[in-house]
Amino acid sequence: MTDQWPRYEVFKQDRTDGPFRNVGSVHAPDAELALMNARNVFARRPACVALWVVPDAAIARRTAEQLAAGDAVEIEDSGDSGRYAVFSKQSQRQTMTYVDYVGEVTARSVEAALQTAADTFTDVPGIVWWACPVEAITASPQSDLPGFEAATSKLFRMPNQYHTVFTMQKIRRGEEGEE
Amino acid sequence: MDAAVRDALSARLLAMADDELVLAHRNSEWTGHAPILEEDIAFTNMALDELGHASIWYGLYGELTGEDADRLIFFRNAGQYRNAQLVELPRGDWAFSMVRQYLFDAAEYVTLNHLKASSYSPLAEAAAKIATEESYHLRHTGLWLRRLGLGTEESHGRAQAALNVLWPYARQLFVPLPNDDVLVEAGIFPAAGLLLNEWTSMTRSHLADCGLTVPEEALPRRDVDRAEHTEHLMALLAVMQSVARLDPEAEW
Repeated sequence: MTDQWPRYEVFKQDRTDGPFRNVGSVHAPDAELALMNARNVFARRPACVALWVVPDAAIARRTAEQLAAGDAVEIEDSGDSGRYAVFSKQSQRQTMTYVDYVGEVTARSVEAALQTAADTFTDVPGIVWWACPVEAITASPQSDLPGFEAATSKLFRMPNQYHTVFTMQKIRRGEEGEE
Repeated sequence: MDAAVRDALSARLLAMADDELVLAHRNSEWTGHAPILEEDIAFTNMALDELGHASIWYGLYGELTGEDADRLIFFRNAGQYRNAQLVELPRGDWAFSMVRQYLFDAAEYVTLNHLKASSYSPLAEAAAKIATEESYHLRHTGLWLRRLGLGTEESHGRAQAALNVLWPYARQLFVPLPNDDVLVEAGIFPAAGLLLNEWTSMTRSHLADCGLTVPEEALPRRDVDRAEHTEHLMALLAVMQSVARLDPEAEW
């Protein structure tokens, strides 16, 4: 038993022609509040045109090695086919786990979607694959755009924009009051 | 600008700035103490937003009066502040702070909507800039109120208790200032009565959706002057002004 709210993975789109990229996660009691928390945590300053949140529990994840070993196909297909959004981690260079949205596939289970994605998007270097049902994604409404734009106009002040830094340096050098 | 208009407008701007500043300070008291990390970040951001709005209103006030925002903030006594008592009350529990912020956000929202069309263009431009941020605040607190009001017995009880205390205080936001009519006539600031009507219908409808009941006052609360404060403002200012007053001539 945990007293934590469920975790949602957050995907942020920096430009309208850019990918939705996983930037981290938030806890929230529901998707609506998850979007709100995501905005506050991940889009207060940086460029952002749209956000997605997806319940962590709705996401299946496999490494390329696991897929190659047939890990995903061993899971029995469950019922009718559906549409799945698939994501892949494409580089090891970033210290953060950047996982980008790649596209949609049709599959009979979320695990099968992972294998289908790896087989379909062969031009994408998928180190790790993620998949979730498309209906598990909650997207920020178009009406959020003015708010995102307003956020980017906020001034981010570095510490040296305040006189205090120079004053402290002067005090350390023993120059205080010598002006 | 006509002297009567300038005096009336500067009084109005000071009231708006003081409301935002004192609320920002109260909300900042939650930093590091909010129920969860994400909300801690969000509410701290909102406190910063209100501080930013205060800075804008003090700036416009300064253009009319030549007064400096830092001097106004750090070197006035409680009796010289013109904020409504609503924003100076201690932060209480989470429900109390959320209900207060919601009532204030709704008031700011309806006010800014009118100010966007103010005949005083610096006010109209500032209002347009702030309104986007404020609509986010209103959504944030609106969503929280729904979850508190319709959540558990405890969350509902706390939200209703907060509303019972705060509702009468919120009305002070709409008490006209002595020379407001000059501003209304000049198309600079909307009539307080108009704002009160819009705010009342907006909040009553949302509060009802949240399962919360607006307390009906047995006797209408008297119109409290903005120069009157509770003892809580003195305590707040003592904390907020302590560093600046240690060395009034310090370079910042």
